Order: sequence, then C-alpha cells, then structure tokens
Amino acid sequence: MLAAALFLLAQVFPLHAQSIEEKAATCGACHGEAGIPQEKTTPIIWGQQEGYLYLQLRDFKRGMRKNQKMSPIAEALEREDMLALAAFFAKKSWPSLEQPSASKDVATRALTAISSVGCTGCHLDQFQGDASVPRLAGQSREYLAKTIADFRTRERANNPGMSDLMNATSQDDLATITEYLAGR
Amino acid sequence: MKTRKRMGYSFAGALALAVVTMGTASSQEVKSAVKYGDMNTVTQDLLNRAESDGNNFLLTNGDYWQRRYYPNTQINTANVARLHPAWIFQTEVKESLETSPLIINGVMYVTTSFSHVYALNARTGEELWHYKHKLGPVTTFCCGPNNRGVAAYGDMVYLATLDSKLVALDSKTGNVVWTADVADPELGYSETMAPTAVNGKILIGTNGGEYGIRGFLRAYDAKTGKLLWNFNTIPENSVGVWAEKDATGRDMHRDIAAEKAQLAKSGDPFKTLGGGVWQNPAVDLETNRIYFMVGNPSPDLDGSVRPGDNLYTDSLVSLDLNTGQYVCHFQYIAHDIWDLDAVSPAVITTVTGKDGKPTKGVIHAGKTGHVYVHDAKDCSLIRFSEAMVPQENMWTLPTKDGARMLPGANGGVEWSPMATNPVLGLAYAINLHQPMTYHVANAPYPQGKLWLGGAFKVIPSEEQWGNVTAVDYNTGKIRWQVKTPQPMIGGVLATAGGLVFTGEGNGLFKAYDAETGSTLWKFQAGAGVNAPPSSYTVDGKQYIVVGAGGNVQLDYKRGNAIIAFTVD
Ligand code: HEC
Ligand code: HEC
Repeated sequence: MLAAALFLLAQVFPLHAQSIEEKAATCGACHGEAGIPQEKTTPIIWGQQEGYLYLQLRDFKRGMRKNQKMSPIAEALEREDMLALAAFFAKKSWPSLEQPSASKDVATRALTAISSVGCTGCHLDQFQGDASVPRLAGQSREYLAKTIADFRTRERANNPGMSDLMNATSQDDLATITEYLAGR
Repeated sequence: MKTRKRMGYSFAGALALAVVTMGTASSQEVKSAVKYGDMNTVTQDLLNRAESDGNNFLLTNGDYWQRRYYPNTQINTANVARLHPAWIFQTEVKESLETSPLIINGVMYVTTSFSHVYALNARTGEELWHYKHKLGPVTTFCCGPNNRGVAAYGDMVYLATLDSKLVALDSKTGNVVWTADVADPELGYSETMAPTAVNGKILIGTNGGEYGIRGFLRAYDAKTGKLLWNFNTIPENSVGVWAEKDATGRDMHRDIAAEKAQLAKSGDPFKTLGGGVWQNPAVDLETNRIYFMVGNPSPDLDGSVRPGDNLYTDSLVSLDLNTGQYVCHFQYIAHDIWDLDAVSPAVITTVTGKDGKPTKGVIHAGKTGHVYVHDAKDCSLIRFSEAMVPQENMWTLPTKDGARMLPGANGGVEWSPMATNPVLGLAYAINLHQPMTYHVANAPYPQGKLWLGGAFKVIPSEEQWGNVTAVDYNTGKIRWQVKTPQPMIGGVLATAGGLVFTGEGNGLFKAYDAETGSTLWKFQAGAGVNAPPSSYTVDGKQYIVVGAGGNVQLDYKRGNAIIAFTVD
C-alpha cells in the first residue's frame, strides 16, 4: 500500500525535475525524517558510507538486490541521482537507535566468531566501514538479522562473497554478532 | 658546499629549515640539496646504483633486484643494543600501515591507509608536505585500505590509489602533476602497491583477485602518464597443461575430466579470472627484464567455474621491460582453490644453479611456506626450500562445511617482502601459522562484488604463531628459525651491519643477528609493526625507519607512527 502510494508520488513529481533535497525527502517516509527508520526492518541510511549507498541503489535497480519497497524506488533513479543521493545521505550524521550493548558473554562469543572470519578486515576496526563497505555499528538489530538471513539464502544476491561468509558462520554465532553490532 | 640551483618549485614546509635557504632566495625557492646531498632529482643513474647507496633508500625493496640488503654498516651487531628513537612522526590516519619509506637526499616519503602521502625531513621527522588523495565514492579492496609506498623518479613521486588511479606528485610540493585512471573500481579494481620507476616508466599492477577482475601489469610514461604497454596477467588461453601436481610434486586432486567438461560448456574463463599483482616487480637491467608474482584466480575457492590451470595465476612471470612482451613463467599451483598464491615480491640474486655454478636466480617466498629458487634465464625451478611452517593435509579439497588444511589461507608467508644477505647466501622470510578450514560455495560472477567461492575460517581453538626464518637459498635448508607469539606480516630489512630487522603484531620491533638469529635489540612501538623497514643516512648518521600502524588483515593494534631509530 505504502509502496504503491509512494510510487504514485514519484510519478506525480518526476525525480529528475526535483532538487536533491526534494528527492531525498521521499526517502524519509520509510528511512525516517530525522534518520530513524519508521520500521525496524528498514535500515539506517543517514551517515552510511557513500559508495555503499550508491552501490545498493544501483543493485536494486539492476535487480541484483530485490525488495518490494526499495526496488520500485531505485528503478526510477538514474546513476546521477543515485550518486547524488548517496553523497547526500552519507554526509548526514548517523542516528542512535539506543539499542542496548551486548552482554559480556555475548560480546566475547561474537568477537571470537568475528575474528574467525575476519569481518574487521573489510568492515574495519570499529565496524564503521569505508566507501563500498557498510557501517554495521549501531545498525537496526532487526534489519541486520533480516539481511544476514537474506545473504544466507542468497535472496540478497548482490554480494555472493558476503553470502559465503555468512554461510560459513553458524546461525548461533550470527545471532550473537547481530546483537553485538546493534549495540555498538 | 655544492649547490645546484633550481628555480620554479617550492619546497613547502622545508622553509622551516632556514639553514638550507640562501639569504637572497625568494620564499618560493629552496635549495634542499645543500645540506643533504647534491642531487635534486632522482636520476636513472642514481637508481641503478641503489644497491651500494648507503645514504638513500631509493626503491621499495632497496634496489632493482629487491634484495633489501642495506650497505651501511654504521648500525651493526656491536652497537645495535643502543638503538633508540630519533624521532616519531604521527600521521593523520590511524589505520594499518604497510608503507615502505623511501629516503632521498634527506627527504622521506611515506604513505598511509586511504592513499595519503607525507614528505618528511628525514633528520627531524618534521612534515614538509601532506597529500591527501580525494577518493571516489566507490573503492573495492580486499584486505584493508592499505598503501605500500611511493616510487620516486625525476622531480616526482608516484602514488597508486585505492580508487585505482596513478598520481604523479611534485616531490618538492606534493602538488599533483598528472593523474591517470588505471581501472574501474566499480568492477573490483584497486591499488595498494607501490609503483616501480625505471627508464622513464612507472610500472604498476592491480588488486582485485577477490572480485573477478582480469589482472595486469602496466607501464605508464613517467612524464605524462600515458599508457606505454599493458600485459594481461590472464592470457586469452588460460587453460595450460592440466598440471596435476604442484611445484613440489604433490598431487592437487584435480578432477580434470569435470574441468574439461566445464570448459566445453562455458569456454575459457579468462575475462573474470583474477590474477592481481600485489608487489613490485624485480628489474634486471642487464637483460632488460622484469620478474613479478601473479596472485590467485577468481573466485578464490570455487574451481568448478574456472576450468584449466588458470594461467598465469599463482605464478612467477617475466616480461621484457621495453615492450611488456612475455618472456617466461613458472606456475606454482595450477587451478588454485586455496588462495595459497604468489604475493611476496620476487628477488633477483646470484644463486647456486642446477649445475652447481653461480647463476642469476629469482627467489620467491610462497604462501605455501617454501622459498622457491628459479633460474632467471627461463624461470625454471632450481630448488625449493624446506617448509618454513607446518603443512598438513595438502592438498585437501575445500568442502561445504569446511576442510582443515595447513597452511591457512594467509599462507606461510603473506605479501611481506623478504630480505637477503648476499654474503651469507641467506633469505629472511617472516611466517604465519594459522590453522584454517576451507569452505566452498558456488555463485555466478557478481560484476565487481566480492567473489570468494566460499570462505576461509580461522579455527579459534587452535594455537597460532609466527616465525622469522633464514633460508640458505643455495641449498634450500633452513639456517635458523625464531618463533614469534603471533603470525607475522609486514616485511624484513637486512643490513651489511650483520642485522635483520622485522616487527610483530604485538608492537615489538626487533633486530636479529643475521648469522644466528639471536635477538640483539627490541623496542615496543605501541601498535603493530607490520610494515617493511628501511634505512638511510643523513649528516653522516645512519637511521632505521619503520611504520607502526598495525594491520587490518590480522587485526593487529592500529596506530599512526613513523619511527626513525639511530645509535649515538
Ligand atoms: C517504501 C519505503 C521505502 C522508501 C520510500 C525508501 N526506502 Fe530505502 N529501503 C527500504 C527498505 C525496507 C529497505 C531494506 C531492504 C531489504 O531488506 O533488503 C531499504 C534499503 C535501502 C538501502 C540499502 C541500505 C543498506 O544498509 O543496505 C538504501 C541505500 C536505500 N534504501 C536508500 C533509499 C533512498 C535513497 C530512498 C529515497 C530515494 C529510499 N531508500 C526510499 C524502504 C524504503
Ligand atoms: C572481504 C570483505 C568482507 C568481509 C570479510 C565481511 N564483509 Fe560484510 N560486507 C562486505 C561488503 C563489501 C558488503 C556490502 C555488500 C554489498 O555489496 O551489497 C558487506 C555487507 C555486510 C552486511 C550488510 C549491511 C547492510 O547494511 O545491509 C552485513 C550485516 C555484514 N556485511 C556483516 C558482516 C559480518 C558479520 C562479517 C564477518 C562474519 C562480514 N560482514 C565480513 C565486505 C565484507
């Protein structure tokens, strides 16, 4: 319903005729006016890495990543829009969802699993990511859990390497990693 | 005092060295040469003589043969116990440091993660200029936002960037002279290696073996940035000879029939087969050839989608320097499915040949844990050393749930350059022991995204360690070996003072006796010392310099220090 409504909105105001602020405003309906998403399974995009944001929009448009809500939005975007939106949201500051820190036990277990695969090799020391690699620290727990599950089933097919790494990690370890990352 | 007066450039920051400037000079003019030598430009002649230059450190690995054997003996076994920091420079970037400092006429050039370059006064550590490359939004790298250093030639220094550009900077100011687009980061290409400058050419390879690139080594014109030649590390016919054994004669358990069936179905996989080049080529100006290592095939662990030997992955390759034409190659592992590829840079040195006579050789420390010794003439293998690390279950095929094999996928030796001591006939390599399981999974080419074809996982319950190993390259025997508490990554420097320098993830930087391996000196740097050391001399005083910034790949404590040591 919401998606349909927004799609309509996009048709009424063709994206290319809008300023970047206007384009970005349409995103707020789901990703939050102040960066805090409306639903828990919608990711934070404020303050996310620029290259990563661009690549996700590109991949939604290409169909390598699919989502009922996001795919139609991305389909209406041109490369220039995507780059501009990515730059726009990357400059915003990352909002706090005030998710609780993981307990010591969970953190220890998560860090062992993390070092076994070497997640920090790409997501970096503080899980802040860089360029094409996303920030994970403080991302919505429910979204992390969902996208990790989607990587495992390859429902999220835009990064087979991440799928492989997720499949090489046990469900239990991933649950602790999710909790740990959300609380950072 | 010899002065070579040069107008028209500024030496930003160096103006603080008031002693250097002449009273009449404009604020733009600095005679940097007065105090620290009499060369302003890096000539080919200077580079050719790098091997015996006890003042400068001119090339990433010391000289064109990449021996990392520094000729100055001022710091030596007798006085190294008195080594202490002369200065410490803190960079703006606190992230893994893999830089090989170059030092030219009292000016040091270092790089940091995210493609920054600093020029420092090598005597004081004072910053002369800082170049911060503006990275594009998309960068695709496998093992950290690293950079391993610049090349210097003429009046310029050359940086290869994470977003796959080659940038020429004015060595006096850090201003950009030209920029060349090397490759498209959206397709998985990135640059972390230091370029090599020779005969007016800037040689550069590419990263991207985890992203289904088609690797290359290229020569750009040093003055203009024009592409002079390109060699694809993956030829259009990448199938090879269906080798069933590795370079040491061990069976790799290939299913040749299945591969042939796949080849008939999908054709040669050359377009997305990987084959990155991690490190500088060794240059032999006597024969006008270069020698370098080609990395793993893509996807790393899933061989089913890439039938054949996957030439020239996991190989030593030699090219003609002028034309980039193929001369010879030697493949260590055909159809690699363990990422135990060839990354530590090639070293040219005189070795005992097949006939027992002194022969020009090329040596390489493999991720397998062997030092391989080749004949420079035809790339053929003369011998390989004893294994420097435990090897178990080689070559077990990766499985869905993971199969244990040693060495782990970071290898027995990573990208870390060896050092050599030609007098002792020893090569010094640093090792990793990291038990891992190898997992395989199948996925189609993901257009520049991470393409591992599975995963490697450290087994958390098993002990890890490292070694410093001295290998006699004339016999293949291990002369001495020292165990370290953690796997080693970074690089080694040997000096004519009878010393070997290398650092550890726990922050220790150590000097070993080149002959015996006994520890003669150590220093706690506060962050992982995981970069290759260099040495140089200014005002008659020899220094050892190294970066302490930790390491992304092995997650060693990060820092931002460039530390120069001296004895006095
Ligand atoms: C109708 C709701 C909705 C709207 C409007 C919307 N999004 Fe999304 N977006 C989502 C959902 C839900 C996801 C998570 C998709 C998934 O689970 O794979 C998402 C994911 C994303 C992602 C991937 C983030 C990540 O961490 O992987 C980006 C980038 C993104 N959206 C950008 C935008 C931009 C830019 C706009 C405006 C042009 C926008 N979205 C508008 C619902 C929406
Ligand atoms: C080799 C590099 C690499 C390693 C190792 C790695 N990642 Fe990733 N990860 C990426 C990249 C690149 C992406 C972006 C995926 C894409 O292109 O859509 C990503 C995406 C993700 C996402 C999705 C974030 C979002 O906003 O949708 C999660 C969650 C994640 N990684 C978790 C992990 C965890 C947990 C580990 C360790 C078990 C790990 N990653 C290891 C590179 C890596």
